[in-house]
Amino acid sequence: MSRAPGAPMDIDEFRVSLDAWLDDHQASLEPEYEGSGTLDQQMAQLAEVKQLTYDAGWMRHGWPERVGGFGGSSLMRAYLGEALASRDVVEPGLYSLTEVLAPTMIDYAAPELAATMVPALLRGDETWCQGFSEPGTGSNLGSLACRAVRSDDGWKVTGQKVWTSLAQYAQRCVLLTRTGTPESAHKGITALFVDMDSPGITVRPIVAMHGTDEFSEVFFDDVAVPFDRTLGQEGDGWAVAMDLLPYERSTSLWHRAAFLHRRLQQLVETAPAGALDPTALGEVTQLLYAFRARSRATQHRMANGEHLGPETSIDKVLLATTEQAVFDLVSQTLAAEVTIGDDPASERWRSEFLYSRAASIYGGSAEIQRNIIARRLLDLGSDR
Amino acid sequence: MMDGEDLELFERSLRHATETHTGTALDAALDELGWHEAMAEDPRAAIATLFGLQGGANVTSSALDHVLVSALGLDGDAGIVLPDVGRWDPPGWIDGSDLHSSVLSVAGLATAGLAEQRHALVVSSIDEKVIALRVPVPSLVLRPIHGIDPSLGLLQVTAERLPVTAEAEVVPGDWDRAVALARLAVAHELVGASRRMLELAREHALERVQFGQPISSFQAIRHRLAETLVAIEMADAVLDAAWLDGSVTTAAMAKGVAGRQARTTIRHCQQVLAGIGFTTEHPLHLYIRRTLVLDGLLGTATTLTKALGDELISSRQLPPLLPL
Repeated sequence: MSRAPGAPMDIDEFRVSLDAWLDDHQASLEPEYEGSGTLDQQMAQLAEVKQLTYDAGWMRHGWPERVGGFGGSSLMRAYLGEALASRDVVEPGLYSLTEVLAPTMIDYAAPELAATMVPALLRGDETWCQGFSEPGTGSNLGSLACRAVRSDDGWKVTGQKVWTSLAQYAQRCVLLTRTGTPESAHKGITALFVDMDSPGITVRPIVAMHGTDEFSEVFFDDVAVPFDRTLGQEGDGWAVAMDLLPYERSTSLWHRAAFLHRRLQQLVETAPAGALDPTALGEVTQLLYAFRARSRATQHRMANGEHLGPETSIDKVLLATTEQAVFDLVSQTLAAEVTIGDDPASERWRSEFLYSRAASIYGGSAEIQRNIIARRLLDLGSDR
Repeated sequence: MMDGEDLELFERSLRHATETHTGTALDAALDELGWHEAMAEDPRAAIATLFGLQGGANVTSSALDHVLVSALGLDGDAGIVLPDVGRWDPPGWIDGSDLHSSVLSVAGLATAGLAEQRHALVVSSIDEKVIALRVPVPSLVLRPIHGIDPSLGLLQVTAERLPVTAEAEVVPGDWDRAVALARLAVAHELVGASRRMLELAREHALERVQFGQPISSFQAIRHRLAETLVAIEMADAVLDAAWLDGSVTTAAMAKGVAGRQARTTIRHCQQVLAGIGFTTEHPLHLYIRRTLVLDGLLGTATTLTKALGDELISSRQLPPLLPL
């Protein structure tokens, strides 16, 4: 980098100097494994890339100074993830968890807590997870039951979470708990920031259809959490969740678009002659460019300080539609690789195809997004 | 570039014009409120605003002629022959090696205003080049098109082996770029019509009561309407990208996506509007008719999508991306 780390940059300058740095450091950034690698390998790779980019300053641009960032536009965060995903040096879903969890910590944690914790996440020293869903609480988040009760020296948490990504690697968890009565619905929820090495936490990874144990069940048995680990105030949990969910549908989707672009380009390069259906390819490309254009506009709105809200549900529907369309095309075009190939490249196509089936399920299912669009964007009133 | 108050004022006067006029009266109103000057100053604002409103109000004008003619760098007042339904190559072709001893054939479309003009510009291919000929309108065969959307007033334009007498005009602009700009205009019109169809379906869903409640409370209805909004926003997103990157490829994608999403909109809105939407007593049918014809102008969703795929298969390279 020709300039001192931390000097303010605009997005164009950031892009040019980051690209140059990535070109220079391509060898040290590239994963050592072929294909997808194991989840352990992917996590080790992620930590290494985060550390390298943090130490060189790139990872600190676009984050506020009070959490160790250099300030500046959030577009730089979006571009860093895009560049890393399009060079295939990180798995974008794992990388983007930072974009889901850190902004909410910055908004809701006590300033000292955010200042201590967020740099560790950005630098790759730590992994965090998000404890929202429960066995009885999928789409209906307001019905969650994992209970936190007050004791003299802090909260005591008892209950169960599920679909917790990377829980077995995580040092911390942003956890939604029930602190009100069971009938209090979304009013009686409180968000806590929990150390995953606390006594009473058990993590049981679940092997998903695409072959990795990215998700876990997490059990809490009378787990002590200090009061100063409350995000916002008691009862603010729903607000914390509503603050977090649009982040889940903004920068991380932009990174995902870069990944999908790279994979579609690789499909176009490697497809056997005559295997690609031109109409299907044209339509998938149009979808990808539409999704990316939508996500780009969202990035700019976020960078301009606009509040992100229910309109990001459209971004999520477009992601799910696009990702599934890309990998439907992959499975039709590379039928042999996806079904009977056992080399690393084929295993990767297969794993990504299978994972794409979850795009309309995780992070608010396609049906929940359409409910939000109907209620909040089309103002169709209550559905009951 | 227009911004803030200027743009708001411009939008308001265009809205008034499209709500109160159609056809040649709308052309006159556009003239009066300075739309042509706006085209020169800020083509994006002029095209996006007018064509969106024109689609929403289900009215017609000759503005598409002006978009093509001005993009070609030709005289702004002339009418122009558009490519035939589903096509985008120049509507005229010339046989003969020497222009002055050659003949011109034409197969294309025109907006209603062409019948009032003395001359029509016929963009024609000769060998590998593209030129524009200024042809007297009476020498062309004009057939008013009734078709699925009679109120659009399109004309079918044909001519067979006309002797080329006029001086050919060299086209300063690039045909592909002019088509790209005109595609953006038609795509905005499709989006405008789609948004109006969604409004009509939404209003109906809120008012229509069955089983003791508005049908808008049923998830089957809500999800159709949500799906429609996603489709429309998708087309708008590609339009935004096409204006920002200025590429011919992205403009073609915008037109393809706008055509496909408009058909999605028709499907869902007609189902939600059900019986009343199948009658001529409700305006939905006007938008359906208009949309189906607009999808055919300068390439249908189907032909544009396949053409994109063919191009990608032969180049093995996705189009460039608009940077953040």
